[in-house]
Amino acid sequence: MTGETAGVEGADIILTMRDDLLRALKRPAGDRRWAMLIDLRKCVGCHACTAGCVAENVSPPGVVYRPVFEEESGTFPKVARRFIPRPCMHCDRPPCVGICPKADKATYKSREGVSAGMVVIDYAECIQCDKCVRICPYRARGRDEARYYSARAPFVPAYETRPQWEYGRTWTRQPQSIPTGTARKCTFCLHRLKAGLLPACVTTCNGRATHFGDISDPESLVARVAKSAGAKTIRKVTDPDPARGKVIFGGSMTEPRVYYIL
Amino acid sequence: MEKTRRARGAGGGGTRRGDGISRRSFLKGSAAVLGGAMLASHAARALDLVRRAEAGTLSPDEAYALSRAENILYTSCLQCNTGCGIKVKLYEGLAVKIDGSPYSPFTLVPSVPMSVPPGEAAGIDAAICPKGQSGIQTVYDPYRITKVLKRAGKRGEGKWTTIPFDRAVDEIVAGGVLFGHVPGEEGRVVPGLKELYALRDPGAAAAMAADAKAIRGAADKGTAVAAFRERHAAHLHLLIDPDHPDLGPRNNQLVYMWGRKKGGRADFASRFFADGFGTVNTHGHTTVCQGSLYFTCKAMSEQYRGGAFDGGKKFYWQGDIENAEYVLFAGANLFDANYGPPNRAARLTRNLVEGKTRITVVDPRFSKLAAKANWYLPVKPGEDAAFFQAIIRWIVDNGKYDARYLACANRAAARAAGEPTWTNAVLLVAIGPDGTPGRFLRASEIGLAPDGKGSGGARPGDLLVAMRDGRPVAVDPNDDVTPVTGDILVDTQISGLRVKSGLRIVADEARARTMEEWARLCGIPVDDIAETARKLTSYGKRAVVDVHRGVSQHTNGFYSVTCAMTINLLLGNFDWKGGMIAAAAYNAVGGGKGQPFDLARMNPGRTTRFGISVIRHDIRYEDSTLFAGYPARRNWWPLSSDVYEEVIPSIGDAYPYAAKALFTYMGAPAYSLPAGHKTIGILCDTAKVPLYFCSDILVGETSAYADYIFPDLSYLERWEMHGSHPNMPAKVQPIRQPVIAPIPETVSVFGEEMPCSYEALLLALAERLGIPGFGKDAFGPGQDLVRPDDYYIRMVANVATDGEPVPDAGDDEVALFLESRRHLPRTVFDPARWERIAGPGWRKVVFLLNRGGRHQDYRDAYHGDWAANRYGRLVNIYQEKTAGTRSAFTGKPNPGYATYVPVCDALGKTPEAAGLSAGYPLRLITQKDVTQTKSRTITNYWLLAIRPENDVLVSPADAERLRLRSGDMVRIVSATNPSGAWDLGNGRRKEMRARVRVTETIRPGVVTFTIGHGHWAGGAADIEIDGTVIKGDPRRATGFNANAAMWTDPHLGNTCLVDPVGGSASFYDTTVNLVKG
Repeated sequence: MTGETAGVEGADIILTMRDDLLRALKRPAGDRRWAMLIDLRKCVGCHACTAGCVAENVSPPGVVYRPVFEEESGTFPKVARRFIPRPCMHCDRPPCVGICPKADKATYKSREGVSAGMVVIDYAECIQCDKCVRICPYRARGRDEARYYSARAPFVPAYETRPQWEYGRTWTRQPQSIPTGTARKCTFCLHRLKAGLLPACVTTCNGRATHFGDISDPESLVARVAKSAGAKTIRKVTDPDPARGKVIFGGSMTEPRVYYIL
Repeated sequence: MEKTRRARGAGGGGTRRGDGISRRSFLKGSAAVLGGAMLASHAARALDLVRRAEAGTLSPDEAYALSRAENILYTSCLQCNTGCGIKVKLYEGLAVKIDGSPYSPFTLVPSVPMSVPPGEAAGIDAAICPKGQSGIQTVYDPYRITKVLKRAGKRGEGKWTTIPFDRAVDEIVAGGVLFGHVPGEEGRVVPGLKELYALRDPGAAAAMAADAKAIRGAADKGTAVAAFRERHAAHLHLLIDPDHPDLGPRNNQLVYMWGRKKGGRADFASRFFADGFGTVNTHGHTTVCQGSLYFTCKAMSEQYRGGAFDGGKKFYWQGDIENAEYVLFAGANLFDANYGPPNRAARLTRNLVEGKTRITVVDPRFSKLAAKANWYLPVKPGEDAAFFQAIIRWIVDNGKYDARYLACANRAAARAAGEPTWTNAVLLVAIGPDGTPGRFLRASEIGLAPDGKGSGGARPGDLLVAMRDGRPVAVDPNDDVTPVTGDILVDTQISGLRVKSGLRIVADEARARTMEEWARLCGIPVDDIAETARKLTSYGKRAVVDVHRGVSQHTNGFYSVTCAMTINLLLGNFDWKGGMIAAAAYNAVGGGKGQPFDLARMNPGRTTRFGISVIRHDIRYEDSTLFAGYPARRNWWPLSSDVYEEVIPSIGDAYPYAAKALFTYMGAPAYSLPAGHKTIGILCDTAKVPLYFCSDILVGETSAYADYIFPDLSYLERWEMHGSHPNMPAKVQPIRQPVIAPIPETVSVFGEEMPCSYEALLLALAERLGIPGFGKDAFGPGQDLVRPDDYYIRMVANVATDGEPVPDAGDDEVALFLESRRHLPRTVFDPARWERIAGPGWRKVVFLLNRGGRHQDYRDAYHGDWAANRYGRLVNIYQEKTAGTRSAFTGKPNPGYATYVPVCDALGKTPEAAGLSAGYPLRLITQKDVTQTKSRTITNYWLLAIRPENDVLVSPADAERLRLRSGDMVRIVSATNPSGAWDLGNGRRKEMRARVRVTETIRPGVVTFTIGHGHWAGGAADIEIDGTVIKGDPRRATGFNANAAMWTDPHLGNTCLVDPVGGSASFYDTTVNLVKG
């Protein structure tokens, strides 16, 4: 069915990338190379990815897997504005893994299954030392401090404690049960990939700026766009809070799997 | 795995408590009781989880549940007014995640065809905005009310008691001493609705309505009134004022106003208020949105019938930006609002990157859209018309208008020219001795006989006139047999009468000032204007001027929009692919061929409402018996309706008459209107508003002042037919349907169990008052209207059969329909009953509900180079009807053509002359932010986390002058609000204290803010229910709302500045000062 629409000229890239994903999932894990590409020319600063990610992963206050940073430059009326979503970079040389006291157990670069190539966290192994949170140059990790958005309301509604499926199993976020207390970050929506769905930030991208797929597949949209438009990577983010932080591009030391078209 | 405790079928797990606020038993069990033992168990189970997942050894319980079709229901979002199709993902009856629907062209472009089965669509999520993503926070807001609240203290004091639904309805119907417990109201007798439901005889109502209409047309009002009194002597006691029968019956003293209401609920309410109760006071909120855009386009769509222009449609056009090659956006903020980011961003970003579409953005603020624009022009606020006039002048001077299109004088000529629409650009207008254009010349006035064989229906005496090769010819604009084309720029005399063609009037007006003069007014250099005009005229019919609130919400909005739309007429782009397009929606009310339920006609006892409304719309001041010279006390609105800012202030002034009861629904005029604080004092006054009841999901900014609040269903719990928007080329009908169990309490009406809701309230009032059109056999023998679904299932059946019927759902789809609704209680889901209601169309109903509505296939949205869903009629470049009206304030005639009008107050004074601007140097404007929808999304914590508060944007030059830095706090003050505060009544105030953000993204001299923060209700402040304090959450009160700084009109005294023609509330005309500290 998707072929019917996705195959035609002018198909929504959500369908094109979904076809790419379903094709990639049929290939051996070792042959895949998941990558995300964000075309900032198309990012309209709508923050749908941020909200969609929080809703999908039931992430708590203070832990935002994918904030959108806003930049202004120039002098009126010659002004420029840019919107920069920032997920986990799923680096091939991840500092977070190197610093982890339980490297290869609590956080590690996955080598098998659908997650192969991703940086993952095993919540049960995480000793909550915060080292990874501090070392990430992209400020892409946060610690789940067991708080609720509705804490000051008359009660906490069920959607804040409902099960979610990170890493492909159910978690029910209650006080004193993991993942509260652990480090948390973007998983490329591994649980959705397993179900044949694109990451939540990709499907809800209003400007269709966010691309995802197996970049080693030259037919995939993410590979085609990366090739045609000259992708860049982020070097660092100065503060995890988009109200204060700046995103600095170029000269990345960690081999990120997230690319940008500026 | 430990499972969350969840009471199925109780609103996603809400339990009740006495105060009527829903609550989940959450921490009591899991955290406090289970403690350490469960921790160990959790940890053990979590061991090696990633690896186990990879190995595929997860139990079914652990697998992702949200992509399974049986856990997904399709409906329509209402976090703003776009109505994107959404898929709501459920887990054990709880809505846990919302995504865009692949069936909806608002969220997937192109959308998947309706033929795709829901089982396949389950695997495709489409795009929605952050508000859509956060919708469950509106629905499961801990501050929602579940029981009827009755005021226990003074209006707005925040003290309530819960009372049984039936008692509340009885009290509203019967009236009496209802608030004897409130100091000062011990003896106050509240009028009940049974007293206001005065005229109950439909026959008498129809006869009186006809005679009241005759009074309007009568030159001698005294004689006409006397005749009325004589003929209706038996019923005069039912009138508001027997000396002014044109005010209508006392029924009109029930006033109903609403904020966000869509099809379905609108029709249901119309059946109650208009056709049943018989009040003319049913007023929407159009003018707080983009009123003058609507009413300009209404004026441009008036059709020539029976010798006059009438029947205009309240609607507007937008650009088909997906196919346009050049778009001039003015005052349009499509990446933050504008129906809406998921729809319009997806249609534009790709084209921009590929260079297929180029855009210019005209805005005093460097918006997100400007950030993507090829060209940006920072216009002065309120001077859009000067910019447009310069463009018109350039186009005329350079002969770059579409002459072939504009020459067409009737339908036949348009057809011959290959045009879907035509204009009155070549028709001749009589010019008065002072040069003022008046009516179109009638052929009979110059003794001209019909030329061809007319087919448009006009009587020979009513034919209009065009000039062809210097010779007058008679024209019927509707003639589809004999093409008539005319000379375009005519200015001549016929039989001693001075006449000009419509286009000539427009051209002369644009030439009234030089390009340099226009440029000075709008603040954009001549070269930039000329370059913009050149671009606009370089892409044929694939260039558009797309305008929205930024142009319309000024005191001159009507004429500024007229100027913009006139440019589109010069381009001849209406109904063309890539041009200006109109909305198209599948019909839900029935009456079409093959549709089973003609709902408007299925109402044998309907009455005829008549009289002048409290906002005095749809009538000229001069035609009323209240005419007493100029200025009128308040405005009259012959061209506009739903003038939101007029409703409560008019009640406050008792002009034209006092209201007795007010009902509001899903609106927050106090918060959303400029100078909205002025409504609060009126609402608090029980003499001016003796009874105020409302329907709301929480105690909101305006419902906080009510006597009774009836809990309503949120958008995931109820029905509506959302309709479409003018930027959507495909024909659609998004259907909003219950997807979760209702959260309000269950009530009984007509012997039926249903959730307390807007519909339940109206049904109960109808039951008590005996209003026809509801109850047993209300639709006809054997067809009852005793439940909401009696109405809405019939509507769905109508949508399914509008035009080519949709297919029947197969057995597998029926099974999925039932399975995916397994969590819904009988009070909102009763398939056996629904099947009986729908009759033979039942499986088509299932087909549509399984997809959340009906959407035309993307490939069918165009016919060649034309839009498939066309307007297809006359578009007025000259508005004769408008020219036949006068300002009720000044008595001057309103121009019927594109013209420049400066910003001014009701009496026509500039702000300087009215003494409003001296000492207040900064122009205050406002804009939407994608994370907030005016009054009603502050409850969404995920959105609040993205923008915890708003700020006032100040240019570096202004900041330096005022010695302000980013982060400083300032009070926003104006001439009509020098203290910079909201008076919330009962001694409560809220200051407009704003955090400054210094930015290069705003034109110097202008400051702006986003609407959405600065709340005082809806969980932002403490309230007391049944003696228990419900603590507010201070996060909901952050930021500010500067609406109260916006000017109060000096003449009106209790209303913002208004566009006296198009009705818009002025949002962008006030000047303010920022006071540090």
